[in-house]
Amino acid sequence: MKVKIKKWNAVATWRWDLPEDDVCGICQVHFDGTCPTCKYPGDECSLLSGKCGHNFHMHCILEWIKQDSAKGQCPMCRQKFEWNGRPNATETTQGQMLAET
Amino acid sequence: MPVQFAAKRLGKELSKIQNGLPPGIELVSADNLEEWFLDIKVLDNNPLYLNETYRLKFRFSQSYPIEPPEVVFVKQADRPIPIHPHIYSNGIICLDLLGQQGWSPVQSVESVCMSLQSMLTGNTKNERPPGDEEFVRGNKQRPKDIEFYYHDNTV
Repeated sequence: MKVKIKKWNAVATWRWDLPEDDVCGICQVHFDGTCPTCKYPGDECSLLSGKCGHNFHMHCILEWIKQDSAKGQCPMCRQKFEWNGRPNATETTQGQMLAET
Repeated sequence: MPVQFAAKRLGKELSKIQNGLPPGIELVSADNLEEWFLDIKVLDNNPLYLNETYRLKFRFSQSYPIEPPEVVFVKQADRPIPIHPHIYSNGIICLDLLGQQGWSPVQSVESVCMSLQSMLTGNTKNERPPGDEEFVRGNKQRPKDIEFYYHDNTV
């Protein structure tokens, strides 16, 4: 039997490279979801990772850090919150094939 | 601070609460996103709080959880105000985590209730704060506007 591929569509999913059940401590929404002010997860609503090892939605932690009472501290551990860059997103790509026999 | 921030966060907390709370904490009412009532009990045998239930009122601003909720004990026929050197007889609580200085947005209604439970559990003094009578008579301020003077930090 000979199969001739006529057409295929690539489908990709992504998620933040963090434990799946982790939520942002400030808004309590999963990291793969958005902060309460955004509609689309991903680049538009990215995460910030502190050197102390705690992660938050960028918009959430900025709301906190701009308060005087925050004193620049991580809400989790009260160490000085310094960012570490973004956690990596892992991508998985699947090929979806339309085959003809 | 966008308005929906507090609403969404409180919605999350409410659905978690409806799936269960730690022992000795019960939701009484959460009819809106401004004011909730919860009952707490002290679970060990501390004679100061034995067989009593205490009612807490939480008030949330639109800046919750960036700003702390206002939390007070409320008195009812079967709900006294617990005796404690940091709790005034009108229900106002002097606890650093509820003030601007000690609050963190990762705290929640549940974690505040648990902190209050443990604040009572660990107490052995059958006392009100110093100056309780004058404070209760004269106080017209909201708890968040009061500059608490911490008389002692040992309790």
